[in-house]
Amino acid sequence: MTAQGLLQALLNGFILGLIYVAIAIGLTIIFGMLRLVNFSHGAFYAIGAYVGLVVTQKLGFGAGLIAGPIAVALVAIVFDRLLLRFFYDKEPTSQILLTFGLAVIAEETLRLIFGGTTQQYPLPDWLQGSIALAGLQYPAYRIYMAIAIVAIVICVWLFISRTNYGLIVRAGVRDRTMVQLLGGNVRAASTMIFAIGAGLAGLVGVAASPIYSIDPQTGFKFLIPSFVVVVIGGLGSFWGAVAGGLIVGELSAVTTLIYPGAADVIIYVAMAAVLLVRPQGLFGESEVIKG
Amino acid sequence: MRRGGDLAFYLWTAVGLILFPFIFRLPIFNGYSGLGTQILIVGIGAIGFNLLLGYAGQLSYGHAAFFGLGAYGAGLSVLKLFPQAHSFGLAVLFGVGVAVVAAFIIGSLVVRLYGIYFALVTVAFAQMVYFIIFQWRSLTNGDDGLQSIGTPPLNFGFAHVDLTQTLPALALGPFGDLGEIKLWYIFAAVTAFLVLAFVRTLVRSQFGEVLDAIRENEERSIFVGFDPRRYKLAAFVISGALCGLSGTLRALYDGSTAIDMLTVEQSGAFVIYTVVGGVGTLFGPLVGTGVIMWLENIVSAKTGAWRLIEGLIFVAVIVFLPNGIIGSFLKKAKFDLFATFRGKK
Repeated sequence: MTAQGLLQALLNGFILGLIYVAIAIGLTIIFGMLRLVNFSHGAFYAIGAYVGLVVTQKLGFGAGLIAGPIAVALVAIVFDRLLLRFFYDKEPTSQILLTFGLAVIAEETLRLIFGGTTQQYPLPDWLQGSIALAGLQYPAYRIYMAIAIVAIVICVWLFISRTNYGLIVRAGVRDRTMVQLLGGNVRAASTMIFAIGAGLAGLVGVAASPIYSIDPQTGFKFLIPSFVVVVIGGLGSFWGAVAGGLIVGELSAVTTLIYPGAADVIIYVAMAAVLLVRPQGLFGESEVIKG
Repeated sequence: MRRGGDLAFYLWTAVGLILFPFIFRLPIFNGYSGLGTQILIVGIGAIGFNLLLGYAGQLSYGHAAFFGLGAYGAGLSVLKLFPQAHSFGLAVLFGVGVAVVAAFIIGSLVVRLYGIYFALVTVAFAQMVYFIIFQWRSLTNGDDGLQSIGTPPLNFGFAHVDLTQTLPALALGPFGDLGEIKLWYIFAAVTAFLVLAFVRTLVRSQFGEVLDAIRENEERSIFVGFDPRRYKLAAFVISGALCGLSGTLRALYDGSTAIDMLTVEQSGAFVIYTVVGGVGTLFGPLVGTGVIMWLENIVSAKTGAWRLIEGLIFVAVIVFLPNGIIGSFLKKAKFDLFATFRGKK
């Protein structure tokens, strides 16, 4: 193992980790606000990726980056108003079942429309090329994407911590009923949070697909690791999702370098270990465990 | 403890299992004779899964691990471990044994978890099992699966029975031909009957009552002196054992194993079968397995959209029939006859 190889692996892990962070933040704020365990979050990523692909082929990558998340947010609002809101108060088990079913429907619809084959994303010239980084030629696009994701994470954090909507969100996590009694419009905030969380997954779906390519199962491929991220960090915890994402990304990248066969399974070992020692996750609060 | 209705249960279950392959052959159902056997074999796994979800109230997304370990255990027993014995019974014992050991280890670690945590950690362990089976190529052939296991003869001491043989030919008009039914069906039906009787006895016993109590209010069950983790572990292991049995029979029936038996999709299949049939009902998982596998057989011959239709059925059942097919039916049925088909209440 050369120092360069290690540096490359760490960089890859950082990029993958940031992608997990962006997906997991949506998952965790949706859980925190709506108390909804959303197994269709991976499907949102895939829908974003495919819508982005179609728009990119017609109008270019920039348009795809805008269209993907908007389309996903609209789908999410329809899901939410039509079905999910009846399941906010049910136990997590039926939420998992319903959102799992919706994910299967979304995935299979994508397969019917686009076929089962793997699709490559075209990347415009201005995003291609590489950047010299500590003696390493690293794809420029990944660096730009990393910067963009960091900016987005900060924006979401500011939204939650500085705006009135964010106030309702944070208070709603603590005590939903009390917020409603005090006149906070939890329902509107819930739908909005759901749309934002889903749109974020859709945006990552467009942004990450030039790196990882897409097929109809992409959603499930990202869903389970994202849950691993959220659970390691602590379900409902914002910074937990950030830490968990980076840990999981680096862990898989470094394992890929040392023993590629184990890269897929190491994150499960890590999650099982964390949960068995600290069931609420690294940053979680113990009160949510029984949820 | 619930008593009564035993005779009706045994009688109607037996009649149902005997008639099933013939009714199934009616042109409107359009099944093929092997499908009935496959439904019963996979249904045994769903019954085991339901013991955990429906009675203990824990949703596992990792039961493919026990199904797959049962299958690989049986296959390896025939091919590598005891090739001379070439024994059906030994293969089943070994396969189920592997599943039980795995269920005990995994169960001991996960019984303290709830809801989403429980679901995810069971996925995690199932993925680890998948990984081990997939990577251990020298033993398991990786993604090629174990091939040419065949079906060893069933040894009764006085006779060796080859389950792949068929019954004597006898035309039955629209019900097909007796000669189309393999001895496999009889074996699967007897096994399914025993499993149903076992689970029924179990959920009506004090053990089943305690599981009810834990599912409804775990804290209170502690106050009255039960240790929920021990009961949940027992339910987990029995559940894993039944999935293991299902897997061993599937491997011996197909004569092969596939790595797909260990995937999250396979775990999801048990979830879908059970939810569609009726969570927490005795016959629900079997009925759900039957309905879904039968529809799959018909629909996938005509269109590639089967998985989409399956997803739509699944969501429709969750939204409109939250008790599943059997559960919704039982809620409306007031007759005592049908009450005997419920696991409880």
